[in-house]
Amino acid sequence: MPDLVNQGGWRWRYREWHDDSAASPVKTPLEHQLKALLPRGRVLTSPAQLAGYGADGLGYKNHLPDAVVIPSDAEELAGFMRGAKALGVPLVMRGAGTSLSGGPVAVQGGVVVHTSALKKILEINTEGFWCEVECGVTLNVLDATLKPYGVFYPPDPSSGPVCTLGGNVASNAGGAHCFRYGVTSNYVLGVEAVLLDGSVHRFGGPAGGRGPWREDWKRFMIGSEGTLAAFTRFWLRLLPLPEKVWTFRATYPDLKTTEAAIHALVAHSSYPAAIEMLDPRGVAMVESSQMACGLPEGSFMLLVEIDGPEALVNARVQSVAELLRHAGSNDVMFSDEDDLRQKLWKARKAAGGLLGQLSPAYVVQDAVIPKRALAEVLQLVYDEADAANIRAVNVFHAGDGNLHPNFLFDSRIPGELDKVELISKRLMQRVIEVGGTLSGEHGIGNDKSAYMPLVFGPDSMRLQLSVPAAFNPVHQMNPLKVFDNRHFSA
Amino acid sequence: MNVFPLMQHERLFVPFLDEVDGTLCLPANATASDIHSQARAHRLRFPLLLDEAKTLREQITATTHAPASCRFGPYCDNILGMNWRLPSGRIARIGERVVKTTTGYDWLRFLLHSGSRYGEPVDYVLRLRPDCGCTAIARFDGDTKALRSCVSKLLHSGWMHWWDAVDFIADAGAAFVRVVIHCVPEEAAIFVQQLEQIAASTFTQLTLQNNVPPPLDGLPDLVIKTTPDRVMGLAAELVQGARRCVALCYSGVVHVYMNESDDFTERTQALAQPHAAELHSLGGDWHSRWLPATPPTIIESAWLNTLEQAIHEH
Repeated sequence: MPDLVNQGGWRWRYREWHDDSAASPVKTPLEHQLKALLPRGRVLTSPAQLAGYGADGLGYKNHLPDAVVIPSDAEELAGFMRGAKALGVPLVMRGAGTSLSGGPVAVQGGVVVHTSALKKILEINTEGFWCEVECGVTLNVLDATLKPYGVFYPPDPSSGPVCTLGGNVASNAGGAHCFRYGVTSNYVLGVEAVLLDGSVHRFGGPAGGRGPWREDWKRFMIGSEGTLAAFTRFWLRLLPLPEKVWTFRATYPDLKTTEAAIHALVAHSSYPAAIEMLDPRGVAMVESSQMACGLPEGSFMLLVEIDGPEALVNARVQSVAELLRHAGSNDVMFSDEDDLRQKLWKARKAAGGLLGQLSPAYVVQDAVIPKRALAEVLQLVYDEADAANIRAVNVFHAGDGNLHPNFLFDSRIPGELDKVELISKRLMQRVIEVGGTLSGEHGIGNDKSAYMPLVFGPDSMRLQLSVPAAFNPVHQMNPLKVFDNRHFSA
Repeated sequence: MNVFPLMQHERLFVPFLDEVDGTLCLPANATASDIHSQARAHRLRFPLLLDEAKTLREQITATTHAPASCRFGPYCDNILGMNWRLPSGRIARIGERVVKTTTGYDWLRFLLHSGSRYGEPVDYVLRLRPDCGCTAIARFDGDTKALRSCVSKLLHSGWMHWWDAVDFIADAGAAFVRVVIHCVPEEAAIFVQQLEQIAASTFTQLTLQNNVPPPLDGLPDLVIKTTPDRVMGLAAELVQGARRCVALCYSGVVHVYMNESDDFTERTQALAQPHAAELHSLGGDWHSRWLPATPPTIIESAWLNTLEQAIHEH
């Protein structure tokens, strides 16, 4: 039976129990073995120490590991991996734990390998447009370090202040500005990976090619969600900073006009960097909070950003504003001043934080659909959620067709989670029917693995499963993730 | 336990044009004119073309990048999905028709440039871009130092995002920088003003060709992938043994075109081999449509065995 636990005194979360009970007392032999592999202070086993590692940003599913190890550097991590296979327990890599798919969580128990100590920025090469970083570097630290050099690393998930590049690469993270700039996989030139046998390999490097290998193995590593190898460092591609940014906010009375605006924006010659959308339920949530910013009741809000050289981007401002008006908005605001731009972003940024405060738990989906189906699929979300009496708020990357319907629920109420899972199931079915996919930037983790048979036919499924079979055949690394038949047997 | 049963059939792509998303699915043996005939009606374009007559598959087999990769990234960022014929003859769907996905392991990028080692592409899903109506080619001439300075200015500012291509072209006995711009006609003057400023500040001579089709260099005989700061020097060196080198400056790629009289297999090998150690140390590589694929290392043979079992399984 599921049990309910109160974590941190402010939020109820849902814990699942397993046959081998992830919450069982730490086995002394494991602790002994871990302390033989790593210095004493780098091994955590007490319940209080483990409590923070039971869940990721998804929150409502909690699986405590048997132990956590925190290698102090890449060498220590590689040394640990050399001995880890013999431990005979699952290994789960973890950066900041901000994933929204249940990725860095020890579903089968075992050891969480926390990479937070590997946080050196090793080289910045502006002539070659690349940098070399360790996996525990946080995104915002990298951004701040690069800025004086006039370059930037474009992927920008909203967890930037804390999320690590290791987690970003493992989940192929995206963000608000991916419409023009693309996702993590577009910027990874090389990956240094430690396999389960402790061997350390460099796939690619500053030049972003194959290196001495026949095949381009980094392609499988990026987005592999910790199921193939431990990452220690990366070589990342950089771009020159845009000189000028204009931010636009427009509201629309209905979904149809909003969709028309999105369609016009994606074809516009200004190539917007970001096209974000907040639906009326999100607008109501923001307007009833302390973060209210005067958005019209019942409106759909679009947030658009264009950037580039000053002369060029300034010449585009009026045509973007006119496009937004022409599509049906009589409420278009725009600015190039940092303070005002932050105000325009306020509702979009506030929405993410408010979700966590308004509901004991929530599930956020990450489907990507062809944009012609936006209105239809959003209506499905509303219809299904309303019928089940579940609150749904949509805050998402409209330019990419990357939906983020957030289903707010209370896991203390019997049946609520079942309702959310049923809605998610129907949503995913429709997403695939209209030509979309399950996840655009969060990864599959154990949150969406049940839907994978919707995506892959018999041949493509066989190809998919052969990848972990090549690198991690017994599924010791992050079992039960991506595909839920990836079960580890010691 | 799965909530959905395993599918009995692949969800193969059926040729389509989605003018809203700017995606086009068409056969791998399609040519530039096949793309144009569908895309232009919707004011869309596929900017990564190298040759008017060769098929898409031939172009993608020949190289990973095109000049417009400067702005839009390599082929693998602009091809979203494929129908892929396995050695068994069955066809599997690889990738998606939407621009973002983290659903499963990235077989698309693994297979895209694998030649015919693991089967062959049947159809591609291309990501198209808005056709803004106006293409111009700028040529900068000057001495080596001036051209280096010119490329640096072109790449190290916010303008870099808006050049379709910044290429250093080395012919036997001459070298110049080529910039391709693509914009709406109303913005052309702003681009030209910026190009003129760069020419003046770098002591290069600027020549502009307005309203011309984008350059089609043809399929390279040898492709070298290195870092952006090395491509100009490498192109200048390699052209000593070739007809032309086109360095895709931001992408860090050199396209080498051989003399017709060369023994392509022998010559490409001779050109690439001296750079092997440096390229490997940088995580770079080279390949040529005239050379067999690099043999797998001992380590990767084991991984490949597992993948090949899945690929060859009936």
